[in-house]
Amino acid sequence: MNKNFQKIYFDPYLFFSLLLLSSLGLFFLFSASNLDLSLVLKQMVYVVAGFIIMILVSQPDPDIFRRTSGLLLIFSLLLLGITYLFGPEINGAQRWLRLGPFSFQSSELLKLAVPIFLANFLFDKKLPIQRKEIIISLIIIFCCFFIVFSQPDFGTALIIACSGLFVLFLSGLSWTFIGGSFVLLIISSPFIWNILLQPFQRQRIATFFDPGSDPFGASWNIIQSKVAIGSGGLLGKGFGEGSQTQLNFLPETETDFIFSVIGEEFGFFGVLLLIGIYLFILLRCFYLALSARDRFCRLVIGGLSLTFAVNLIINLCMVVGLLPVVGMPLPFISKGGSSLMSLFFAFGIIVSMGTHKKFLPQ
Amino acid sequence: MIFEERQIEKNNFSSRAIILFSIIALGLVAVLIQVFSLQVSGYSDYQLAALKNKNYSVPVQYLRGEIFDRDGKVIIKNEPTFDLITRPNLILDIDSFLEEIQPVIYLSEAEKSKYKKLQKEKAFVNKELVLKKDLSDEEIARFNVRSFNFQNAFIAKRYRRISDYPDIFSHVLGYTYRTDDDFISTPEIPRSHWKDSELVYAHGLIKGRTGLEEVYDEYLSGRYGKRVYEMNARGQFVQPLSFMKPEKGNNLYTHLDIDAQKSAAKFLGNRKGAVVAIDLDVGGINVLYSSPAYSINKLSNGMSENEFQTLIDDPDKPFFNRALQGRYPPASTIKPAIGMYGLSNNIVNWDFEIKDPGFFTLPETGRIFRGWLKGGHGKVNMHKAFLVSSNTYFFSLAYKSDITELSNYLSNFGFGKKVCLDCFDEDQAFVPTPEWKYSIMNVGWVKGDTVNLGIGQGYLVATPMQLANYASILATKGQFVEPSLVALDDQKKSLNTWPDERFNDADWRKMHQALLGVIESDFGTARSIRDLKEFQVAGKSGTAELVSLDSKEAYLEVRTSELLRDHSIIIAFGPMPNPKYAVSVVIENGESGGTVAGPVAIEVLKSLINE
Repeated sequence: MNKNFQKIYFDPYLFFSLLLLSSLGLFFLFSASNLDLSLVLKQMVYVVAGFIIMILVSQPDPDIFRRTSGLLLIFSLLLLGITYLFGPEINGAQRWLRLGPFSFQSSELLKLAVPIFLANFLFDKKLPIQRKEIIISLIIIFCCFFIVFSQPDFGTALIIACSGLFVLFLSGLSWTFIGGSFVLLIISSPFIWNILLQPFQRQRIATFFDPGSDPFGASWNIIQSKVAIGSGGLLGKGFGEGSQTQLNFLPETETDFIFSVIGEEFGFFGVLLLIGIYLFILLRCFYLALSARDRFCRLVIGGLSLTFAVNLIINLCMVVGLLPVVGMPLPFISKGGSSLMSLFFAFGIIVSMGTHKKFLPQ
Repeated sequence: MIFEERQIEKNNFSSRAIILFSIIALGLVAVLIQVFSLQVSGYSDYQLAALKNKNYSVPVQYLRGEIFDRDGKVIIKNEPTFDLITRPNLILDIDSFLEEIQPVIYLSEAEKSKYKKLQKEKAFVNKELVLKKDLSDEEIARFNVRSFNFQNAFIAKRYRRISDYPDIFSHVLGYTYRTDDDFISTPEIPRSHWKDSELVYAHGLIKGRTGLEEVYDEYLSGRYGKRVYEMNARGQFVQPLSFMKPEKGNNLYTHLDIDAQKSAAKFLGNRKGAVVAIDLDVGGINVLYSSPAYSINKLSNGMSENEFQTLIDDPDKPFFNRALQGRYPPASTIKPAIGMYGLSNNIVNWDFEIKDPGFFTLPETGRIFRGWLKGGHGKVNMHKAFLVSSNTYFFSLAYKSDITELSNYLSNFGFGKKVCLDCFDEDQAFVPTPEWKYSIMNVGWVKGDTVNLGIGQGYLVATPMQLANYASILATKGQFVEPSLVALDDQKKSLNTWPDERFNDADWRKMHQALLGVIESDFGTARSIRDLKEFQVAGKSGTAELVSLDSKEAYLEVRTSELLRDHSIIIAFGPMPNPKYAVSVVIENGESGGTVAGPVAIEVLKSLINE
């Protein structure tokens, strides 16, 4: 007991790859922000805090997350409710909650709460999971999705829905059910297009399919992002030398479009290195999931790491012009405290669940 | 869970996790492929696109063409002035800079605050900014002595659009205005770069707004040049890359005559009215003057809000171009046209006589239409009717006319139509028809309306331009050339032939004799102007009644209010017998046509003929 108590739960692979990624992130951010040192220092504080959070979170036994999963979900929803009531409106959306000098995006917590709660709900169910359980899960997913969607924050809502659906899928959702829902989704797509999507979201999708239609308006971002990446070539233009970035042709360089900065200034090899690190992190998470001690841990690791992966993929695809523009940061690189904290929190949980082993078989 | 079940579950999880992670991995591969295609396959295209973004191109303004009169004398020109120009990006502290330069160049508070505002907008692009326009010689001298103190400022030439006759040509030339956002993006120059245009005019990027400046805007406009700068990654100027010279616009050679326009203005004086004169050989408009006028120099080079508002509020409406837009009853000047209609349609002939008791009684209603001379002119034939301007004769002629046919006939003379080929915003005035009256007033046409039309009163209105055109038709016996201010090669002008063949050469000769008699004979209504000149002039005067009155006594009462006094009108052409010019003059509230408008017409003809 004493021996166990002294042990520090720590995964060197994840720790060092995340350290490398975050350091690169600060470096890129320095260039993307037109060499704004104070911005980078602020972000550095977030990174350091993030690592501390990750280490702290990975120490307790995973059981604590199982037992508190309901509480976590309720707490997250409560925060969203407070945001809805008191949150300031920024650019027509209510996403932020202010707490003294700090402000954070309350939906970030839901990204963790939904997969953990569903994993707890499903981990002891017999295979294949029953219709009743599926419906309950779907209702929870949909409610959470809808609340965030109506902020409006389509990107985060999508991630939350994915995080829940991944857990549902990993826990053994029947293939017939999956097939059926796909058909349903296709049938209902006109409804989604016309009623659920905001006009600006429709516009983004439209310009994605026809970027030439409005080169100075909505598709400007995509065009300039492609020009930035494309003009980077194999080796890139060098740190601080990307004309697209530095002359402000590229929008949102510090947040959503920071990948274009990397592409422009560090070229294909820079991109290769970055994606290599991401891939390594994902593979490590995959390994931890497979070797986790029980079904709950497997589901949570799988759910959280895949959520991270989807976040990553959507950002990359958007920036290189494979998907319409959705507001979504590049994990561990983009400026912003909330998303970084929630990422480190998630990885803390992953480390905790991947490194705690049960003494007895279940 | 028993062990076996756990194993199944674990396998199930593993296979599903593999599926999802593979999808993610595929996504990453797709991104890599896309990045590869952008950075490696598409590199040259995107590199070019990024390079283009780096090249900052700005338009370089051209000089507008200048405008000349028919003798090649310049009417409006580009006059150079010297302006103090700064390079705002090199000025570190604007306030202290302005303080330092204040003793050298006087700046008003408004100029200073405007400069500060523009400086903020422009500082980014490493461009020039005008601090003070139109420096005096003294200021230039003061600055040159101290120029070493101001490395970031210099004096350079900027042009203004200036006329030496800013008032008399205001309506016909029109003015230019500064276009602030009337630009288009071209592939070479994005719209946002226009604010950084390299200027040659002190007033900025200018365009014609009214008059010839507007009508011939395209012709006067040159082609913008282009200067391309290279920027570094910080958005700072590196070096000029290329320069394409702007092309000056075409000079515009008009038919206008400075001297004739001057005498129109001089003899019209401060009365309201208009003068139009036409060169009959080419249909060239030599004079197009409207009074009161305004200064185009001020308007084209920046007029203060107050001054502009004063002009707008002026009850005499100086912006109103009376020559092209003023609608006046042609009054007795219409009589030749009515007479021609009567002769062509055999309603009367040259020998047909009536007894003029001084009024005409409408048989249907007994309504009395009075002539201008109490007691009448006695026995009147067509020739005499023109000379003495017998209203009774033309009342009775009009009475026998068909209104629809008469209206059509009048439009042969250009009434109710735009007659000038290149005038700005010409009004087409109006020839009444029964259909028109019914649709507007909801009452039918009555015979009395036609009778009134016989002396150019009632609903018929014409512009001074139309009257001049009408005079040119009478002068050329119908073989007129459509009037225009400028003759360009691509402008098709042809000699018109008179459509009414029933009105033959002999008729035309008699008509000229009669109109000559109006001025040159002892009985003519306009004989008072006979001795003002050396040559012979034909014409017809008119007095347009603004209020319809039954007696002279009533009018004497009305004339106490100046704005209700009759308009004085004359059309004239000369020198006879081979006329070269036709002219129309309208003087608002000038009363009797021959004695008031007549001298103005004669003076204009004199300055045109005596050249």
